[in-house]
Amino acid sequence: MSSAGIDKVRDWILGRHPDRTELAADVDLIESRLVDSLAFVELVYTIEDAAGVEIDFDTIDIEDFQTLATIEKAFFA
Amino acid sequence: MTRPRIGVDLVPLSRVRTLLEPGVEPRLRRFLSADELAVSRTPDGAPDLAGIAGRLAAKEAVFKLLGAVGRPVPWQGIEVLRGPGGRPGVRLSGAAAELARGAGLGPIDVSISHDGGFAVAVAATTSPLPKGTP
Repeated sequence: MSSAGIDKVRDWILGRHPDRTELAADVDLIESRLVDSLAFVELVYTIEDAAGVEIDFDTIDIEDFQTLATIEKAFFA
Repeated sequence: MTRPRIGVDLVPLSRVRTLLEPGVEPRLRRFLSADELAVSRTPDGAPDLAGIAGRLAAKEAVFKLLGAVGRPVPWQGIEVLRGPGGRPGVRLSGAAAELARGAGLGPIDVSISHDGGFAVAVAATTSPLPKGTP
C-alpha cells in the first residue's frame, strides 16, 4: 500500500501528462521523459511539500528520483 | 589539440508562464540567480518571458557541454548574464565550474534566439582530444 505522500507525487506527474491514467512504481521517470530538467525542479518542490522536508539541491542523488518506488523509499519510508 | 563541443536546448515560453503563476513564482529563484533575476525584467518591470526562456535554454545548453550525464542541472552554478556588447555571457561556479575544469573545457560562448513561442540556445566550447587521437 502506498503512502498519501507518494500518491501526491504520482498525481502531480499524471496531472502533467493527461494522456496517462496510471503510473507504475518502477517506471523510470527521466528515461520515459515524464520528468525533464525543468520539471525536475518542480518535482523536488512537490516532494518537499508532500514529505514536509527540505531537499538540498547541491547534494541530490539523482537515483533517489528515478522512479516512484525510489522516491517513496528515499522520502516517504 | 582540441575539438569543438556544442550543446543546444529549446524552452517553450509556456513553461516559463507556468513558473510565473501565483504561488509558484518563488520557484523561479531555484532556476535563476539574483543577478539573473535582476536582468530578467522588461523596462516596465514585468517578467521578461522570452528572456527567461532563453536564459533557461542557455543554461541547459551549457550543461550539455559539461558531459554530466545522470546529474540534475546545477541551475544556480550556470549563470547567463549580459556580456560585453549585449551578448550573453556565461559564469560558472560550484559544481558546474568543477565539471568544466575536470573536462578541460575552453571558454564557453552561447547564442540565444526566440520566436514563435520558443527560445533556443546553442552553447559552444572546446575540449581536449582524447589521448591516442591521430
